Amino acid sequence: MLTLHTTDGGSWFKPGELIEGRASWHFDEEVDAVEVRLFWYTTGKGTQDVGIIRALRTDSPDASGHRDFSIRVPDGPYSFSGKLITLAWAIELVALPNGETERLDLRIGPQPVEVDLT
Amino acid sequence: MNSVAVARFRPADNPFASHRVEGLAYRFIGFGLTALRQRLEEMGGRSAIVGPKSSGKTTLLDELASTLPGDLVQLRIQGGCRHPWHSARDQLPKPVNPNHLVLVDGAEQLGPLGWRLLLRATRHARGFIATLHRPGRLPTLIECRTDHSLLFDLVEELVPADASTLEPELEGLFHRHGGNIRSCLRELYDLYAGRIASSQ
Repeated sequence: MLTLHTTDGGSWFKPGELIEGRASWHFDEEVDAVEVRLFWYTTGKGTQDVGIIRALRTDSPDASGHRDFSIRVPDGPYSFSGKLITLAWAIELVALPNGETERLDLRIGPQPVEVDLT
Repeated sequence: MNSVAVARFRPADNPFASHRVEGLAYRFIGFGLTALRQRLEEMGGRSAIVGPKSSGKTTLLDELASTLPGDLVQLRIQGGCRHPWHSARDQLPKPVNPNHLVLVDGAEQLGPLGWRLLLRATRHARGFIATLHRPGRLPTLIECRTDHSLLFDLVEELVPADASTLEPELEGLFHRHGGNIRSCLRELYDLYAGRIASSQ
């Protein structure tokens, strides 16, 4: 079981701010590693693009454990939606190699709403 | 810090958006991943996933990769790549050793010479699986096929409540796109976006 949350429960962060939080896990079977990843991705019509900003890896984790994380938000890109694509941000906790994932959707930008390009 | 809900319909909210389509699992007919792995073993770990464009080869290769142990080397050769052999070579570890299992997505991009060079460069690997449009270069592990019932199955997973209303259009859509499932789903993306826009 994986859980992921930011320290204050927030999901909007401005460029330059720190995203702080805790990733926790409990596994019945051994895993090689867990990773906390901050990334953006595009979705909509067409193929997806993904940019991983930071990946914090913990090798050979205990069956139950946690990791506090602190990742600085880059200058961009901002979260936005246009007619054809949405650019979204998320932070995820991934168990390797089985790929079990817990994800927290974020909004990145100067305002608490994604930029509307329509 | 605040959490803010967005009311308008965004591309990400379209059930045919790329993140949802790319999350669809491969549909096996008649046997599953375990049987496929067994077949791969029987074939000495060197074989091809064969099928036309957008028939699920990459999805299947990725699913297979997630279940295979050992040092996986995953090569992706993009369509339209001008120097596919150089692209493949640059993604290979040096040297390729007997612990490596090499998975090549888009091997049909390689010409005869590039193909031979890739086989030579990976000859010490313990296994080699490639996706190809046509059989012949390697023994065929599985042939991926599409039909309009597969399209319906995928649509039903993406839009369970609306699948039956879309069903009459799916057979024509499938034939219009020559069996290319990804193209069908892209047209459905537009169709769905149009329906939402006209209802707002």
